[in-house]
Amino acid sequence: MNVKIYTTNHCPYCHQAKDFFKEKKVEFKEINVEENPQAAEEMVEKSGQMGVPVIEIDGQIIVGFNKPAIEKALKK
Amino acid sequence: MYDIIIIGAGAAGLTSAIYTGRKKMKTLVVSVDIGGQTLLTEHIENYPGYTEETPGFPSGPKLMQLFDTQAKKFGAEFTSGKVNKLEKTGNGFKASLTNGETYEAKAIVLAYGKVPRSLGVPGEDKFIGRGVSTCATCDAPIFKGKTVAVIGGGNSAVEAAELLTKYATKVYLIHRRDAFRADEVTIERVKKLPNIEFVLDTVPTEIKGEKFVKGIGIENSKTKEKRELEVGGVFVEIGYVIETDFVKDLVKINEKNELIVNESGETSCPGIFAAGDLSSFPYKQTIISAGQGAMAALTAYEYVMKLEGKTGARIDWS
Repeated sequence: MNVKIYTTNHCPYCHQAKDFFKEKKVEFKEINVEENPQAAEEMVEKSGQMGVPVIEIDGQIIVGFNKPAIEKALKK
Repeated sequence: MYDIIIIGAGAAGLTSAIYTGRKKMKTLVVSVDIGGQTLLTEHIENYPGYTEETPGFPSGPKLMQLFDTQAKKFGAEFTSGKVNKLEKTGNGFKASLTNGETYEAKAIVLAYGKVPRSLGVPGEDKFIGRGVSTCATCDAPIFKGKTVAVIGGGNSAVEAAELLTKYATKVYLIHRRDAFRADEVTIERVKKLPNIEFVLDTVPTEIKGEKFVKGIGIENSKTKEKRELEVGGVFVEIGYVIETDFVKDLVKINEKNELIVNESGETSCPGIFAAGDLSSFPYKQTIISAGQGAMAALTAYEYVMKLEGKTGARIDWS
């Protein structure tokens, strides 16, 4: 499974999302859009919106720390 | 059937869950998030016992994580979701969630706090997440190199504007009055920043764009002059409101749209208790919400004990 999470340094929901993946022992790649403006553009392009976190699970895009949607995507 | 359903998981709801869990009440916490308003506080230095020695100090999210761990340790169950209907049943209450799930309990603690107030202008809903944001702390870095507008005049608005000046090329701070309500120190500091412009006596009329925000229509409330500012982002920081639609037929509400509670955390409806920012208590503070959460939980415990014909041992010092 390929899990990516787009974050900024001070976004509390990004921290919660990361903790959630750690708790579930799901490996993920963090992309900090604050340090990488090009990744920010990529995130906006992919998600069609400008808020963090954005979570990508095997190509599926989830906006925000939407736990039910994440759980569903992980089960697939 | 649960003994108690706690709606909301900020400082008030999580503390309620710690107390009901310790009373061995079968507890369910229903919430859209964990941590509530305290999550948005980077520097929490007025919560007793949480000091420089605590790992993670001084961040609000860390403190809320500790609350959450503690509530789970004492057995509270959690489900993620939003309650949009609450009704009385023969032996308690039924809470319905927007995802279709329903849960029943003998008593309810309402502790779901507040949500950001919206502007109510055309384009706002359409562009939420597409340039319109209510969390500058979260989203500011994404607006690097853009021109943005912040709406509001309190501390949160002025601080959001200050944060945004670090990323945006230019920040308009738009406020409907001729002076800000924020603390003098903050205003003085922000005034000196080179890339901020104060737009006073002005209200937004429309948010415009195509796929993303491209501009904001504004009107001077004194001269009635209208103009448009080219911006790539609009940050709405005009305070918070309490959602009362699903509870207003059950509990009494005051003129500020807060849920009226007495000194024990009881609302006007037997079996429904309330705590935290949504309650009629003054001073919205993490420590006060936590205290109120404990109070509501203990009163709810007494209530459930009485329903079952037992005496709820009042643990007082008297």
